[in-house]
Amino acid sequence: MSTLNFISLFFILFLTFQTPPVLSWKKDEFRNCNQTPFCKRARSRQPAFSSLTAHQVTISDGDLTARLIPKNQTDGQIKPLILSLSIYQDGIARLKIDEDPTLNPPKKRFEVPDVVLPEFESKKLYLQRLSKESIDGDVGPSSVVYLFDSYEAVVRHDPFEVYVRRKGGNSRVLSLNSHGLFDFEQLRVKDEDEDWGERFKGHTDTRPYGPQSISFDVSFYDSDFVYGIPEHATSFALKPTRGPNVEESEPYRLFNLDVFEYIHDSPFGLYGSIPFMLSHGKSGQTSGFFWLNAAEMQIDVLGEGWNAESGILLRSKQKTIDTFWMSEAGIVDTFFFVGPSPKDVVRQYISVTGKPVMPQLFATAYHQCRWNYRDEEDVEQVDSNFDEHDIPYDVLWLDIDHTDGKRYFTWDRVLFPNPEEMQRKLAAKGRHMVTIVDPHIKRDDSYWLHKEATQKGYYVKDATEKDYDGWCWPGSSSYLDMVNPEIRSWWGDKFSYENYAGSTPSLYIWNDMNEPSVFNGPEVTMPRDALHLGSVEHRELHNAYGYYFHMATSDGLVKREHGKDRPFVLSRAFFAGSQRYGAVWTGDNTADWDQLRVSVPMILTLGLTGMTFSGADVGGFFGNPDTELLVRWYQLGAYYPFFRAHAHHDTKRREPWLFGERNTELIRAAIHVRYTLLPYFYTLFREANSTGIPVVRPLWMEFPSDETTFKNDEAFMVGNALLVQGIYTERAKHASVYLPGKESWYDMRTGTAVKGGVTHKLEVSEEYIPAFQRAGTIIPRRDRFRRSSTQMVNDPFTLVVALNSSQAAEGELYVDDGKSFEFLNGAFIHRRFSFSNGQLTSVNVVPTAGKSQFSSDCIIERIILLGYSGGLKGAMIQPANQKTEIERAPLRLQGGHSPAVVTIRKPGVRIADDWTIKFL
Amino acid sequence: MSVVDSLFISGVILGLLCSILGGSTASSSFLKHPYYGISPQDEKYYKTSSDTIKCKDGSNKFTKTQLNDDFCDCLDGTDEPGTSACPNGKFYCQNTGHAPRKIFSSRVNDGICDCCDGSDEYDGKVNCPNTCWEAGKVARDKLKKKIATYQEGVTLRSREIEKAKLSLVKDEEELSKLKTEEKTLKGLVQQLKERKEQIEKAEEKERLQREKEEREKKEAEEKAHREKSESVEEDKQENNDVQEHASFEKKPDDSTPDDKVSVLEHSPEDQDMAKGNAEDDKAAEAEHVVTSDNVEEPWNEVELSAAEKIEQSVSPKSEDNSAVVPDTGHGAGSELSHEEAKKVGNDASESTEELSREELGRLVASRWTGENNEKESQEDGVKDKAHEVHEEVPDSTHDGEDDGYATDTDDDTERYDEAGKYDDHIDNDLDESYEDEDHDDTSSSYKSDTDDDLDLSETTSPSWLEKIQQTVRNLLQAVNLFQAPVDKSDADRVRKDYEESSAKLSKLQSRISSLTKKLKHDFGPEKEFYSFYGRCFESKQNKLLSLSSHACLVSLQSLPIQTSYPGRRSLFNSLGVCVYYHIFPCISDSLIFFIHQGESSCHLGTDSKSCWRYLFAPSVYIIFLLPLKRSMP
Repeated sequence: MSTLNFISLFFILFLTFQTPPVLSWKKDEFRNCNQTPFCKRARSRQPAFSSLTAHQVTISDGDLTARLIPKNQTDGQIKPLILSLSIYQDGIARLKIDEDPTLNPPKKRFEVPDVVLPEFESKKLYLQRLSKESIDGDVGPSSVVYLFDSYEAVVRHDPFEVYVRRKGGNSRVLSLNSHGLFDFEQLRVKDEDEDWGERFKGHTDTRPYGPQSISFDVSFYDSDFVYGIPEHATSFALKPTRGPNVEESEPYRLFNLDVFEYIHDSPFGLYGSIPFMLSHGKSGQTSGFFWLNAAEMQIDVLGEGWNAESGILLRSKQKTIDTFWMSEAGIVDTFFFVGPSPKDVVRQYISVTGKPVMPQLFATAYHQCRWNYRDEEDVEQVDSNFDEHDIPYDVLWLDIDHTDGKRYFTWDRVLFPNPEEMQRKLAAKGRHMVTIVDPHIKRDDSYWLHKEATQKGYYVKDATEKDYDGWCWPGSSSYLDMVNPEIRSWWGDKFSYENYAGSTPSLYIWNDMNEPSVFNGPEVTMPRDALHLGSVEHRELHNAYGYYFHMATSDGLVKREHGKDRPFVLSRAFFAGSQRYGAVWTGDNTADWDQLRVSVPMILTLGLTGMTFSGADVGGFFGNPDTELLVRWYQLGAYYPFFRAHAHHDTKRREPWLFGERNTELIRAAIHVRYTLLPYFYTLFREANSTGIPVVRPLWMEFPSDETTFKNDEAFMVGNALLVQGIYTERAKHASVYLPGKESWYDMRTGTAVKGGVTHKLEVSEEYIPAFQRAGTIIPRRDRFRRSSTQMVNDPFTLVVALNSSQAAEGELYVDDGKSFEFLNGAFIHRRFSFSNGQLTSVNVVPTAGKSQFSSDCIIERIILLGYSGGLKGAMIQPANQKTEIERAPLRLQGGHSPAVVTIRKPGVRIADDWTIKFL
Repeated sequence: MSVVDSLFISGVILGLLCSILGGSTASSSFLKHPYYGISPQDEKYYKTSSDTIKCKDGSNKFTKTQLNDDFCDCLDGTDEPGTSACPNGKFYCQNTGHAPRKIFSSRVNDGICDCCDGSDEYDGKVNCPNTCWEAGKVARDKLKKKIATYQEGVTLRSREIEKAKLSLVKDEEELSKLKTEEKTLKGLVQQLKERKEQIEKAEEKERLQREKEEREKKEAEEKAHREKSESVEEDKQENNDVQEHASFEKKPDDSTPDDKVSVLEHSPEDQDMAKGNAEDDKAAEAEHVVTSDNVEEPWNEVELSAAEKIEQSVSPKSEDNSAVVPDTGHGAGSELSHEEAKKVGNDASESTEELSREELGRLVASRWTGENNEKESQEDGVKDKAHEVHEEVPDSTHDGEDDGYATDTDDDTERYDEAGKYDDHIDNDLDESYEDEDHDDTSSSYKSDTDDDLDLSETTSPSWLEKIQQTVRNLLQAVNLFQAPVDKSDADRVRKDYEESSAKLSKLQSRISSLTKKLKHDFGPEKEFYSFYGRCFESKQNKLLSLSSHACLVSLQSLPIQTSYPGRRSLFNSLGVCVYYHIFPCISDSLIFFIHQGESSCHLGTDSKSCWRYLFAPSVYIIFLLPLKRSMP
């Protein structure tokens, strides 16, 4: 039937031939800062605007507490604000400022629940005392408390300011309100002639509670660049948005939106929001600031000299980057992370918001997606074509059209009459399926889910307290109130095999449109005056809506297998903490080179802010990539933590074998690179899962003192061992690649040693993108190719030992059952390999008491030594005392001829065992 | 004891035995013999007397003990035919009872039974039963069916070849006859034209003379009634007439407008003509609304905008003809089309505020679904086309005899229309196409080539030609050129005959052109597709095209076999396929796919593997019979 398939492909190509994408970011449909009253107001304020002073600074219940009162207040009109500063283990200070609940404000302000880990509270240090100092000739005092190691937190009373400093001297790390831009609009009763409503593009926001925004400045000291606050399609090091040499720019916006055809360089807010910023500077030190607030946020990065005319006297002479944070509602609940290393800051942030998921092995492999694989036959064709072309893949995805009229948890029974059978067929090859489940529920009285949700009153309400009715894929739709734990639990039950007819254990879930996307809502989302549990307005939790939905789905999958199966849920929207629930991707990107390029800073930023399991649609969602771009995208995408190809339904089919034999070969080679590196990736995912250190990281995370790396966002590190740089231009002949550090690097393709600390101008081949293994590291590989990662579990390993100048190297391998939660009970193999003094040893990273509950018979079939200066006499394996041969053998088995490198042939040692190999 | 444990121990033992080559470990010890996974034809390559064997790609060599030792020494997999150690290797399964097969090495011991004899899974982790006999039987039955299908196809094909021969002869005969007639008629038309011009010259002279007299007379009268404004107006009116007359090649008499309109109505497909005669946008749009074959609204709109474009470019030159098309009668249509045009023209984002919530939802949704987009881009496409067209239109209006050009334009437009229809189908919910199956129609094809609709029966009759010749002769004799004043009825007769004859001529030429074009097509080596020319079908099984249903899917016009189809080349390249194909709808209840080898493209750098993939029987057409839903004209 291949002929028929070919013909139908032809037709699809033919039919889509004449529909070039029209780039059309609908800028006017979204508010800019000037159209957003709170942002406009805040941005117009001048430094030293704030006149708050701290009173009654004291220690209470282990926290530093104070009341903030305007300095020249005479009539008592403005109520005091309550401040509390808590200190947590490992260098975290938490500053909260809210209205005083005892003074009966019209409404309790919203605090985002279920983001900060419950166990975080147990890390609180109960402050015993504070010391009062007069610093830098201040008339008033400052209160100083212990923070961490050599750090102290300081509350300056007048003018009010909070900062972290190093003990002894006045070397600051982070500060809040140093420029006096702090403002907190307190809730109040509406005057009769006041109109609080806001109109935008025909939508009216009733704003029954009036203005309630918060804004303040945050300064990062000894800092050259700031990073973080996803999601924006822009450079990794955040460009200033205000300042003397800055072009007119919007602030970085954090407001989860479904942006149609987003552009590649803009501070405009996309699908997710993580209000966490990191700074890094020449000192090699990093600090971080996180504001737990789910309302719309706008953040300015202020260019040097932005405050030249303010006349404000700054206490610090350190080089700082100032930032300005504005939010529409909520409270001040901020976290200061002192670092000092980049990895420390990430760890600190993760200790507040949670560790990234440990994905199942299959989820770290290659995913094949398209809107839409039409029917069961299409699925079968695509699946068998992968086999026919010997290209591995692990997951086949079904987009919205697989459902019965976009009613999730249902199947179009004409197109998919036997979904279980279909999944079973895939599962027989060790493959999985993912179906989409979106948050909009079709308002159809014959749809069981809608009926139940309506009866139970589980929908978000509109401003008049009726079930909110918005428009999305199914037409008229309602949205579940996922902030309510009861509803989340109910939702989770829907994923049971019983409730989700046609689902099988190999089926996992994709949450799209969960910003939430509402086609006829203001800015394509839910009105801000919609109401959630406890009369919380949507404006207060908007950015976390997708997070709760993701959480509910993920918990549902855990429940489905009674806690025995790790869930896999891909989400488009995210918030701080989403890393605990699954993967995210960068949304509906476009098939062009710029978007290929920007995928790297986007993924680096996500990784830095906890969301390490992320990727961009390989090939670009909108539009048709030309073949070269598609191949380059596969070559880069193979290193994304989440590696999925996806395409819009109007695009030509672009499965890997559709571009001629040569390109099929190139794409196959790119996917194979990922599969050979799966043991390394899986080990890195485990590292991320236990520490938060992202799988894909910026160069400066590994080389914190190397200034050249600070702005580099075209290259990235995969773990600590692999540097990868994409090719982002058409028909590139050369690429400049900077290799940091003093040690050498080994070309992953040739094994050739290249000097570190230098920018190399490399010739570019169509066959691969530059990738180098750092000297001093060991990378585990699996060189046998299978249909999917599932068949690789018994395959032997290859170790690539890249020796440094002192003939030493180190690396890890983590293996578990790839599926269950047993690893949490110690069921895993985690080895540390180290090479020194002419011998390679394997030891347990975590010497567990007793035997691990997980064992593997896998062996190491090949050890490759790069940069080895000894002879090739042979090697002795201990404890078996077996001699083995050393020869020169190819570095790689795939992708054309490969130079011969020093190889230990068939050492045959088990990965589960301790062993030593001595080189003779 | 697990497998690898035992392997490990065996390795250790071997190691202790000081195997110089290192332990022969892992799954190789499970191999039934050292030549496992090698095809019989290949065995002699391995069974050499020498101790070392070369990798087939020449990259390396290996010892016999390294053959199937589960360690990859040859990048091409030569040394590991029976294990999974080399990623590029192939494993041979004998499959007694069924066909032998080579599978990728990556399938060996992966826990999945690939060979029906189970020989690919030998490490003991799974048990693969031998299913070759059953599988073989199924395959044989399938093959029988396939052969039957082929045979049926071959029969169909030879029937088509016979049919083609007949039609081809008929068409060629007709063409040569038409060409002779064309020659004759051309001469006549030329004569008439000359005569007509002479008459007009004479008339012009007369008229000028008369005007001069009148003017003099009037001047005299004006002197008498200088104050009377009425006469001034009259004068003006006269002047206008003068101008009008001067701008016409001939003075239209009362009957002419009607004639022209009727011509228009008879050949609505001839857009140029329609445009040329159209009075203004409105009329043209109305015309299109009325005549368009397309039922789906969006396509009307797109056509409209295309028409508008053409209109704008043509109209300045066609103002002369303004009197020809009456304003009345199309009023309703033009209003409608204006409204629609407005709708299309509206920028969606600008109008969001006025939309109802539901409309807004749909509008925004349509961005992702591409419905709107498609419309826009299609429109662009058509506009581009229109652009091309109106660059050429002026030529054709000046040179009415350039029939070849006119036909091309028609074809292009048609092709786009069809492409547009396809796109629409993509958008259609599948449900729709399923529903469509319910209302079956009986006719299996319709003529999409509107040229064929021209009524040429009259033109092609020789008696008619003779008659016309006779008439012209008579006429030319009867009309006295030197008679003054010119006899009005004579002049009109000349004009009328000229009009009629040249209309006939252009019909004739159009027919010649379409026939020539048809004959130029590649209908396969034996013209087996000849009788499918211009016929459209649809497939019942949406599987095939997944867009399916109720319209003309393929015709020679939309998918010319010549290289002129722009997408064709790249499509083939991207699919790595080097066959010419013909997708022809057809006869009875089947959709036939003919695929035959494209000699030239097979030699153009495509490798033989992909070439043969689709060519089960190289010199024979491969015919698939699939149920077909008959389409509606």
